[in-house]
Amino acid sequence: MHQLEPIPEGVRQALNAHGITDAQIKLCAAGDMTTEGNFAEAWLVATEQELCILTGVKAVVPKDKRFGRKQVAEQWQEVSYRTVALSAIEEVKAQSLNGNGLLVITIGEQAEVACRYSNTMARKFGQFARLLNKLRKGEQLTEKDFTAEVYQPQCPTCGRLYPNPTRRVCPRCLDKRKLFMRVLSFMPRYKKQVIQILLCMFAGSLLQILSPYVNNRVFFDEVLNPAGKYAGRIFSAVLVMGAIQLVSIAASIAHGRINAELTARVVFDLKTSVFQAMQRLSLSFFTSKETGSLMTRVNSDATHLQYFFHDGFPYFIVNAINLIGIITVMLMMHWQLTLLVLLPTPLIVLCVTKAFPKLWNAFSRRWRHNSALNSLVNDALTGIRVVKAFGKEDTERERFMQRNTKVYQVNMQVGHIQAVLFPVMGLIMGAGRPIVLSIGGWQVISGEITIGTLMTFLSYLSMLYGPLEFMTHIVDWWSSCMNAAGRIFEILDATPDVAERKDPVRLPNLSGHIELNDVSFGYEPNKTVLENIALEIKPGEMLGVLGYSGAGKSTLVNLISRLYDVQEGCIKIDGVDVRDIAVADLRAQIGMVLQDTYLFAGTIMENVAYAKPGATIEEIIRACKVARAHDFIIKLPNGYDTLIGHRGQNLSGGERQRLAIARAILHNPRILILDEATASVDTETERGIQEGLESLVKGRTTIAIAHRLSTLRNADRLLVIDKGKVVETGTHEDLIKLQGHYFKMLEKQRNALKIRGVEVSEHQLAGRAG
Amino acid sequence: MSTNLPDALAEYAEIVFLAPEKCKFSMTAGGFLALEYGEDKFPVVSAYRSFPLTLGDKYISIRDDKEKEIGIIVDLADFSSDQANLVRAELERRYFTPVVETVVKMKEEFGYIYWEVITDRGPRRFTSRGQHDSIVPVSDTRILILDVDGNRFDVPDVRLLDAKSAKLLESLM
Ligand SMILES: Nc1ncnc2c1ncn2[C@@H]1O[C@H](COP(=O)(O)OP(=O)(O)OP(=O)(O)O)[C@@H](O)[C@H]1O
Ligand SMILES: [Mg+2]
Repeated sequence: MHQLEPIPEGVRQALNAHGITDAQIKLCAAGDMTTEGNFAEAWLVATEQELCILTGVKAVVPKDKRFGRKQVAEQWQEVSYRTVALSAIEEVKAQSLNGNGLLVITIGEQAEVACRYSNTMARKFGQFARLLNKLRKGEQLTEKDFTAEVYQPQCPTCGRLYPNPTRRVCPRCLDKRKLFMRVLSFMPRYKKQVIQILLCMFAGSLLQILSPYVNNRVFFDEVLNPAGKYAGRIFSAVLVMGAIQLVSIAASIAHGRINAELTARVVFDLKTSVFQAMQRLSLSFFTSKETGSLMTRVNSDATHLQYFFHDGFPYFIVNAINLIGIITVMLMMHWQLTLLVLLPTPLIVLCVTKAFPKLWNAFSRRWRHNSALNSLVNDALTGIRVVKAFGKEDTERERFMQRNTKVYQVNMQVGHIQAVLFPVMGLIMGAGRPIVLSIGGWQVISGEITIGTLMTFLSYLSMLYGPLEFMTHIVDWWSSCMNAAGRIFEILDATPDVAERKDPVRLPNLSGHIELNDVSFGYEPNKTVLENIALEIKPGEMLGVLGYSGAGKSTLVNLISRLYDVQEGCIKIDGVDVRDIAVADLRAQIGMVLQDTYLFAGTIMENVAYAKPGATIEEIIRACKVARAHDFIIKLPNGYDTLIGHRGQNLSGGERQRLAIARAILHNPRILILDEATASVDTETERGIQEGLESLVKGRTTIAIAHRLSTLRNADRLLVIDKGKVVETGTHEDLIKLQGHYFKMLEKQRNALKIRGVEVSEHQLAGRAG
Repeated sequence: MSTNLPDALAEYAEIVFLAPEKCKFSMTAGGFLALEYGEDKFPVVSAYRSFPLTLGDKYISIRDDKEKEIGIIVDLADFSSDQANLVRAELERRYFTPVVETVVKMKEEFGYIYWEVITDRGPRRFTSRGQHDSIVPVSDTRILILDVDGNRFDVPDVRLLDAKSAKLLESLM
């Protein structure tokens, strides 16, 4: 049986009651809203003949006023049921509105809503609509239609919603131990250092525990006491104490040094592998909302792990040893007193678990307000030209004041919490001291214990609470580290959607024949950007692509260069599906000048040579000449050595574009894609660039996108795209004759010039004046 | 319609403001909005808010089935209440944003916030990505919560919530 999701028992019974047997069900999906917009369950079930719409509620039997997972009795109660014959349905469409979606069916002329669903279900219903349309046309649904996994929003183990249903990783049920082992697996490469560190830590802890004993117990009771074992040997005693101190410090220095080196290396390795993995991933991974703040997240996650290695893991071991060691020694010395001293421990644990989260919360709020303030400053400074141009300095100051006030307020809150919390903690921790002093002091007087024992005890006491506090939040801290690790491994393990096939076809010498068969594509599930595009571009042909803004032109070339993969249909280059071609061959032979020019921080020389690192200086200059960039570069005081600032802000828009063109020319691809490559360049310079390109373009397949029709004067053929569809194609003359979109655009641009009193002939405008 | 733009500009920025007396909205049998505007008949129209967060009833763009703008309604208050309600229903469907009435549970864990809330549309559980990405402050007292799927939940005034809910939310503001 094929379905999109399993049917729960109650619904199955309801369906059976309406005479729908399991075997008849071809397709089914659950929505989460009524058509009025209340949260409830609604089932759409399709058989070969009809579509059944079943709504109902799960009777909620609350044990108390709040509802909870366990208090919802899974009792399905039907509210309504109706059926529509599939033959009556003209069209099925999943329509996405801003806050939710509608499954709209058209019966006759009348459109109606079959089901309403939240955005959570948008993808599922997009698929449902597609399959229902197939079913409606009498086509059989096959296994292949259900390749998308069964919809499952909750983690089956703990019932928690998946943070991201398409990813299905429950952060809670993630196998933390496995993750931990994997994090540790970064360590064996450094076995030597790890063993050294462990040795240092053991030695350090041992000495640390030993030191109060020697300093107090031995010194007071055995050295200062005339009846003691080492009576009067003060000098040797001090020497021993000094030695212990020295060795302990040496161990801690060694530990610190080795640890610092190790951590730096581990984090270096980690960041390197993450960066490599990210470079491998497809573009869609980066543009999806999901990974909006990917960079910062990876960085902060790596920092988290660094803390783990540097502060967490080693200190955990040290503290554990210390804690056990100290308590053991104390118990051996005086177990009754030890137990007494440990009495406030639960209070400390309570304090740390209850009050500290408040502090952390305040800290994170402070962090947030601070970064908001920083981003405002950043904004105002990068946009300083706009601020000045509109004379908005006062407004900016006002906005700054507002945010700064918030920062001030939250700073004060943090201060207030700290002002109370730490003294109280100190008080509780100090509570052991009077106990020891009074009971111990009394016992010293009565001669039950020595003064040395008392002093030793007090020293241990002060050493006890540090590790104790550390241990209380280790759990919390551990899980946040493991989460960071989880996210990092997720990137390491992610398989790119645009992946190379196992045995890709090598095409080191493309001829540049491009063919698109019925290509459809959308960045988001419910919004097709390109629809059924069919197109053939011959080797060496220059194709001009026109269309209104947002029509899908850039998307088309993104698909050809395989930055994204098509969703339906296929793209073939030289007769081979692009998905089968070795990515390296494809990239080497397709050169793109993108609409938004990106220049890296570096010199002009480095930027032009980016695509061909081994290029000779002559090659670079020649490429810049063709791109008409040479002249302006030469005039710069530092010429080709000019450092381009972040994103090339010190160059003009047209200058940046010319550098990008030079880069593509140097790349020397078989297929050249120019997406608005000369839009910011004046027509005169553009003509110059084109003349240069003409010799270059010869014999190369070129796809040029432009709004300015004169840019496409050399195109062999023009293609007009409107709302994701090819609406016109042909030569300039063909399209004029057609009197369609192209003709209109031509007219409009001519009129635009006429207003300014410039008379142009149609041929001049299209650049065919010759 | 008076605007502050210079008259010369008004000529180019041709905004069609829909005159309330010429509009006749109705509901199709399938529950979609239809419009008769003077002589013109539009069997299906859609309505968009220009300022979904701040001016829900003002500057509403009415578009035909090809998404082409027919005109703008300056203020729904200028319409008769049943006409306004028809448009409002369409708007509310498009900008579906349940209003949070009670926060039953809010737990931040593993970088995600797990919510259990009671909204005016019924109870709902959802997950949102950590605070920075999912809480949109609209004003000092109003926030919008975005969940991982892009659903939106509105808290119009944190101060009007019960003490417990307010306390849970305040930790995020
Ligand atoms: N990464 C993306 N994610 C989601 N939607 C996108 C993305 N890139 C583009 N779109 C959408 O796809 C549609 C087509 O975009 P495209 O960039 O192909 O237009 P275009 O024809 O190149 O327009 P222009 O002439 O303005 O460059 C637009 O509606 C745009 O909003
Ligand atoms: Mg574009």
